[in-house]
Amino acid sequence: MENVWLITALWIGLALAAAVLSVRLAVSVALTEIVVGAIAGNLIHLQISEWVNWLAGFGAILLTFLAGVEIDIAIVKRNFWSTMSVGLMGFFAPYLGILLFARFVYGWPLDQAQIAGIALSTTSVAVVYAVMVETGFNRTEIGKIILAACFINDLGTVLALGLVFANYNLWLLFFAVVTLIVLFLLPRLVPWFFETIGTRVSEPEIKLIFLVLLGVGGIASIAKSEAVLPAYLIGMVLAPTFARYQVIAHRMRAIAFASMTPFYFLKAGSLVQAHTIITAAGLIGVYFGLKMLTKFVGILPLTKAFRFDAREGMYTTLLMCTGLTFGTISALFGLTNHIIDETQYTVLVTAVILSAVIPTLIAERWFQPAYRPLDSEQQQQQPAK
Amino acid sequence: MYRKILVAHDGSPGAFVALTAALDLAAKLAAEIHMISVTELPAFPGTMDEVIEEQDEGRRRLQPVIDRAKQLAALKGLTLETHLLPGHPVKVITDFVRDRGFDLLVVGFMGHSALYNSLIGSTTDRLVDHAASAVLVVK
Repeated sequence: MENVWLITALWIGLALAAAVLSVRLAVSVALTEIVVGAIAGNLIHLQISEWVNWLAGFGAILLTFLAGVEIDIAIVKRNFWSTMSVGLMGFFAPYLGILLFARFVYGWPLDQAQIAGIALSTTSVAVVYAVMVETGFNRTEIGKIILAACFINDLGTVLALGLVFANYNLWLLFFAVVTLIVLFLLPRLVPWFFETIGTRVSEPEIKLIFLVLLGVGGIASIAKSEAVLPAYLIGMVLAPTFARYQVIAHRMRAIAFASMTPFYFLKAGSLVQAHTIITAAGLIGVYFGLKMLTKFVGILPLTKAFRFDAREGMYTTLLMCTGLTFGTISALFGLTNHIIDETQYTVLVTAVILSAVIPTLIAERWFQPAYRPLDSEQQQQQPAK
Repeated sequence: MYRKILVAHDGSPGAFVALTAALDLAAKLAAEIHMISVTELPAFPGTMDEVIEEQDEGRRRLQPVIDRAKQLAALKGLTLETHLLPGHPVKVITDFVRDRGFDLLVVGFMGHSALYNSLIGSTTDRLVDHAASAVLVVK
């Protein structure tokens, strides 16, 4: 009988090592957890038991919810056409381009080609945000449009993941109806609940959010949809609420990052096969290149249409080529549901990680717009917006 | 000689030694003296929260350093202009030197452990390589 405490200690030890590495190297903890997971998976054949799957699954749901909470709906409304067109093109161009390549050039069955298209359609909102903070671009309207477009791009990814593989039956209809009702009620119910219940040691606010996420996620699973879809949508509708109750968001993030998301990223990394990275390096390069090409074909002309200057257009397009969290979620969804095998999973996740790194480096090195970050003293002198 | 001096400060003891030397030099040369500190953001972050948290943590860690540095400058009768910026230290500092026209950059010898420096490489070495101005490394 396995010693569950020692096995948990091993996983937490790996998570701790990844966290320390991320601090020392100033690299995202998600990336270090994937790498540490890949090393552990290939060297010590890390075992994934049911409770690890449960923690990883809940971690993915919380991660997606917290991602949705970060959207600035006011920016989307204020710049609706530019945000929606850049965001949707950012999703559809790579999704369709990569799907068609995988299906008709490389001969993958349709479902597998769908996973490839979805996994490589994503944009990393966090990477885009970090680059913008460094350049001060996050304070400009164009910067905010780009960020909002990234959320729309990822909304496309999550919707595709939730709908492409769903069973189109009464359960899906039930799931859709329940989700719509929940999305309508939550922006009214949650602020009232938070205000009424107050801050308690028993954390009832967090329990309410968990109840909603798990309940609607459970119905999604019955409909063969994906629990991250309602989680993202719920996060988006509650974004204004959590902007007011940031302490609750921080506490949820602490729970997620301390005890759940590490299992998710370590698991995602542990399933990467080292030998496949070498033997399929060419295919990985092709998928990565296709992601960039399709994003360029889709987004660069739109930036010109919306009067970005040439440098800003290239910069925007390169940033929207990035992807990490949602790409990994999509690839792992494919593997968990036996749509793709471990070789295909390795190819897609490695291409996703390359897309987190290379476009960012290119954008920062050669296409940074002529903008300088405001330092803290200049910020104090700026009139508040 | 040097009219506009910038000292890079990461809060380490070595950086304080560099600051003291830079203040002495600025006093002797009647030069303008600035200090730059960089809150290092995680590369390839997974969530926006990681970025925001690092900025907040950096500000919390570096604000006392900035306050102390201003006190040291005031003791020598100097006005120290401080700048707290987010990003990757080498890039931010070298861009800042170039954009603001500093003619001397003063840095401490070591901000990380010796093992880190030998494995990863030191910020000081890279600043010496890439800064557009003269660089004074204070040990």
